[in-house]
Amino acid sequence: MVVDEIISAARKEGRTYLTELESKQILKEAGINTTEIGLARAKEEAISLSREIGFPVALKIVSPDVLHKTDAGGVKLSLNSEEEVGKAFDEIISSIKAHEPTANIQGVSVQNMARPGTEVIIGMSKDPQFGPVLMFGLGGILVEVLKDVSFRIVPLTRRDAREMIKEIKGYPILEGYRGQEPADIAVLEEFLLKVSDFVERKPEIKELDINPIFAYSDGAVAVDARVILEAE
Amino acid sequence: MKDIVKKLDRAFNPRSVAVVGDKREMDYMWLRSLANFQGRLYSVQIDEKELPGIEALGVKNYFSLLDIPESVDYVIVAVPRAVAPKIVKECIDKKVGGVMLFTSGFAETNTEEGIRLQEIITEMAREADLNLIGPNCVGIFNPRIGLCHAVDQYYGDGGPVGFISQSGTHATYFSLVGALNGIKISKSVSYGNAVVLDCTDYMEYLAEDEDTKVIGMYIEGVRKGRQFFTSLREIAKRKPVLIWKGGETEEGTRATASHTASLAESPLVWDALIKQCGAIKVDNFEEMVDTTKALLYLKPTTGARVGLCAMTGGQSVVIADAFAKAGLEIPLLSERSYQEFASFFNIIGSSYRNPLDISSNLIPMDNIIRCMDILNEDENLDSVVLELSVAFLTRIARFIPIFLDELIDALALYNARCNKPFLTILVSVHAETEAIEARQKLVERGIPSFPSFERGAKALKKVVEYYKSL
Repeated sequence: MVVDEIISAARKEGRTYLTELESKQILKEAGINTTEIGLARAKEEAISLSREIGFPVALKIVSPDVLHKTDAGGVKLSLNSEEEVGKAFDEIISSIKAHEPTANIQGVSVQNMARPGTEVIIGMSKDPQFGPVLMFGLGGILVEVLKDVSFRIVPLTRRDAREMIKEIKGYPILEGYRGQEPADIAVLEEFLLKVSDFVERKPEIKELDINPIFAYSDGAVAVDARVILEAE
Repeated sequence: MKDIVKKLDRAFNPRSVAVVGDKREMDYMWLRSLANFQGRLYSVQIDEKELPGIEALGVKNYFSLLDIPESVDYVIVAVPRAVAPKIVKECIDKKVGGVMLFTSGFAETNTEEGIRLQEIITEMAREADLNLIGPNCVGIFNPRIGLCHAVDQYYGDGGPVGFISQSGTHATYFSLVGALNGIKISKSVSYGNAVVLDCTDYMEYLAEDEDTKVIGMYIEGVRKGRQFFTSLREIAKRKPVLIWKGGETEEGTRATASHTASLAESPLVWDALIKQCGAIKVDNFEEMVDTTKALLYLKPTTGARVGLCAMTGGQSVVIADAFAKAGLEIPLLSERSYQEFASFFNIIGSSYRNPLDISSNLIPMDNIIRCMDILNEDENLDSVVLELSVAFLTRIARFIPIFLDELIDALALYNARCNKPFLTILVSVHAETEAIEARQKLVERGIPSFPSFERGAKALKKVVEYYKSL
């Protein structure tokens, strides 16, 4: 299956960090909704992909060597036409070559611009005693500054998933605070259960971060993701 | 019979016990602790000058475990660490039911010699499937058969609480303080460095033990985390499990390393695990005592609405604060209750909104009970709390000497007919001696008491949350 192919390809290259593209492909296999994403190796390919996916799109550098894509000028958002996509593709490639001349560039990912929603994150890391542990929290500044997150050990039951969502202090935000769009809690529960199920079946995954997820009143989408493999 | 029961039953219910290496300079603490052991007790000591002392205790001594003319179910080892491998070997050859190593000086010292010796005994025990408890612990307490590890522990009858403690001190203290609070042990074990048997094994054993209705645990670290998680999750569905995790801070983990050679673990993950498994987290010794007491003595409730009755005005304010801060609700009473109060309650110097201040209604004593009965009948309440101010009651005792005794008798009858959980807060003030007597009387009549509003409130909150989670 796709997951094993991605993992063995990374292994062959001696990598434990998967690219965003690979990480999202893995998430899709796990049953998690992600932004539509394709890999363009050339400008023409980026343009035709963006036509397929539909405007507006985002372009991001795909390279295992570029960890901070935005800082290196590897991200262009809200591109509304073929001209803009073509220009953005060239700019990304030249910026990366300037910033990280030795980086191995696999191409540029083309993805749809997800409509902004309530940002949440799901993470998985491994505890030396208890194994894989899932983390849930609100995205952005709330997770970074307030550490408003909850944890559960894999495997999660549906009740665990529900409780870990309700447990965070920012839960009222997910319920739709002061007229904001509420988050689809049932779908977030599904995400947690699917990640739990997936990492249980794939012990070779060491860390997983889906940050952010945009949550809407009807569904949610993984906007960025990062998977790290266990060293062989 | 489950495998774990078969495996550990001889050690927990021994008919014969041998103490290896007890000596005068320790006042023969092991043999003395076992003075009321119901089975056969032997000593193993090779030091000639210790023999008269052992003989004086009426215990038969042998020079080797292997010389004892019957099988030995449980062995207590108090020899210097360098001799430990030799004794472990004898235990294997003797096919004992279990061996507890009081001996310390192993990995917890973080010395080459200590680590080496620990590896040797671990290897030997694992290979021979020997039930090695510890090292660096005080082992099993089974009061029903007089298997004690301290001279001041009770014996003869036990209770419903199983206790598993990585620390010997906490195991001993919990048995002693528990007894003063109406909490008696079914079986307990202190297990130290846990090189062979770990808390998971003991927990699985006590889960099957019919005498054990509640399990308390003091843990510094676990060895087989996944198994612990899976087992706890299953067991906590059947019996309440309370977990007190030692070493929750960086400073604390420094101590767990040198105490039982336990590794640091994330407190966040422990919190999640306890919640996820449906166990009850307690943060210290007092919470362990209080929450166990609440589980044993309070009728189960999932409701958070409390009726509070204090003996004076100032206390009525702070009892309400304490219970509200603990996350409980103090609602207004029903219209019917207010009508009943209005028919007899003297409001000069008192009040009955909720919280109640019954100061000017304390005498005659029937008034107190009448108030309590109204709270019991009130449909806005889920539980009932009464402050017993020992200072106040002692003052009344100067002119009505039997007041407190009669009140406690009446409260025992009330507790029996009350269909809500009922608890008392025994506020000693300066009358500490009298408070100890009062607590004893309450314990004898099965009325739970807590020494402060905050502690009572927290214990009630914890059990309400527990029953809600089921």
